[in-house]
Amino acid sequence: MQTSSNMKWLWLAIGAVVMLAMPQLVTSSFAIDIFIRILLFSFIGVAWNLMGGYAKQLSLGHAAYFGLGAYTSTIMQVNYGISPWIGMIAGGVVAMLASLPIGWLCFRLRGPYFTIATIATAQVLMLIFLKFRDFAWGAEGTTIPNLGSAPLMMQFEEKSSYYYVVLGLLVVGLWITHRIEKSWIGYYLVAIGEDEDAAEAIGVNAPKVKRDIYMISAFLTALAGTFYTQYIYFIDPATAFSFNVSIEAALVSIVGGIGTLWGPVIGTVLLETTSALLQSWLGSSVGGIQLTVYSLILMAVILWRPTGLIGFATDIYHRTARRKPARA
Amino acid sequence: MWETLAQAVINGLLIGGIYALVSIGVTLIFGVVKIVNFAQGEFVMIGMYISFFLATQFGIDPLVSLVVSMPVLFLAGVLIQHFLIRRVLGPNDMPQIFLTFALSLLLLNLSLMLFSANYRTVHTSYSDAAWHIGGLYIPVAKLIAFAVAMALSGLLWVFLHTTDLGRAMRAASQNRDVAMLMGINPNRVFAVAFGTALALAGAAGSLLMPFYSAYPFVGQVFVLMAFVAVVMGTLGNVMGALIASLMMGVAESLGIQFVGADSGLIVVFALLLLTLAFRPSGLGARRGR
Repeated sequence: MQTSSNMKWLWLAIGAVVMLAMPQLVTSSFAIDIFIRILLFSFIGVAWNLMGGYAKQLSLGHAAYFGLGAYTSTIMQVNYGISPWIGMIAGGVVAMLASLPIGWLCFRLRGPYFTIATIATAQVLMLIFLKFRDFAWGAEGTTIPNLGSAPLMMQFEEKSSYYYVVLGLLVVGLWITHRIEKSWIGYYLVAIGEDEDAAEAIGVNAPKVKRDIYMISAFLTALAGTFYTQYIYFIDPATAFSFNVSIEAALVSIVGGIGTLWGPVIGTVLLETTSALLQSWLGSSVGGIQLTVYSLILMAVILWRPTGLIGFATDIYHRTARRKPARA
Repeated sequence: MWETLAQAVINGLLIGGIYALVSIGVTLIFGVVKIVNFAQGEFVMIGMYISFFLATQFGIDPLVSLVVSMPVLFLAGVLIQHFLIRRVLGPNDMPQIFLTFALSLLLLNLSLMLFSANYRTVHTSYSDAAWHIGGLYIPVAKLIAFAVAMALSGLLWVFLHTTDLGRAMRAASQNRDVAMLMGINPNRVFAVAFGTALALAGAAGSLLMPFYSAYPFVGQVFVLMAFVAVVMGTLGNVMGALIASLMMGVAESLGIQFVGADSGLIVVFALLLLTLAFRPSGLGARRGR
């Protein structure tokens, strides 16, 4: 036990050093941009995975919280000059509060119809932000005023700084997931995901547990929304509440390994790398190629490896590990 | 005022007939196979493209191409059920939801690659024709689409209630385990249900073609309507889906008429959320889910 735990810390330390040194070693801004996308979508996947992976509440509406986070911080910054660092937390709180009525409605349905209801809520929010233009710029959106180098306003001249911000977010997300995984609430979540009625029968307060985890998941997703808006200096309802955000959050988790700590990260690395390679190979001229490939990967995973890449790796590990001591 | 209202109701009912074909397919699959087909809208899109290419390449009227699009999609449904859906039927929701969702993404983006995002239209002799009855305006193409949609729904009802296979499908949707104990072959019943649902989507596509543009995302509009109608009409209930679809069409049309041109979807979603809040198991519900 002691050695395996030591090994784990060693791997984590090596990983941390590599991740921290990465922007110093790789200077191509195309590559840094891909790293930032990978870290960002890993983080969104981690937030989705808390609810979608552990409790199996398969939401396709996380763009709702991504957009609320993005709009809250942007409205505070553009209209009142408040730093996005504060706006980010405020956006998280707004998303948490919004998750209460949304959850109240959607959790009345189970399985696929829960999924549909979550899609509908994200669409409704997008339509609201499209419609009320005096409140948030309507369909045209707005650009974020560029202040040059202003770390206090979450604006940096170097792309590597954005890299460190989103790396920090991902570390927080993974740490929270790790803590939840090891706590009683983690076991409750898995019990709900396996069989909600059975979990309630043995005394799990399923509505409360689901509500709480949905709030945490919404909070984290909103942080990603603020970061993304600051990174691209632009916001409009179509990007902030983009259905693609909801899709990718779920996809990376399922492909990597649903309900596992590192699943979303591994899934994002695979999908984003594939997408970057496709883009440099075919150019961005062919519309639809990225999602065509994503959907083929998703189908392959569901049909052959429903536990995702992590499950695939553990299977191989167990098969080879079992062979060795068997002869001893 | 009354004329505007009556006109909006007529417009809504006519498009509601098309929504009904899509919703009946969704609810049929849900009732019998117990999965939600997220890709249903993409099969409407495929039906539209089939009619579009038959019309532009061979000059076949979209209404006639119904006899091509329906069998082709029926066959596609049987194959999809046999090779894909059958492998993920089980107690776990995740594979079912994301398999049909992946199928939807795949078909949508493949058609984006193959046909580009351009809007394709077919102009027929009756595309612009309309009857004027009193002060009301009834477009012929939509009226034909509505009539054929209702006829197909009626045929399905007759099939479900008078043939052995139809009865077997209804039995399977009421209680799958007992139906199997009675000697019903589930694979055959599932394949027919899936094929029929897709044939209805294909029919919807062909019927739309004389007055609606085909483009890769067109199915999304119809599938959202269908999902809302199926929730409102109680999951798995064919008659409920039909009535709810007509209501959705009218609600959307009234929204466009009295609230604003871009508010159709808001009205529809508002209906969905109200249904969820007050009657989560649908309007004609016996049991919840």
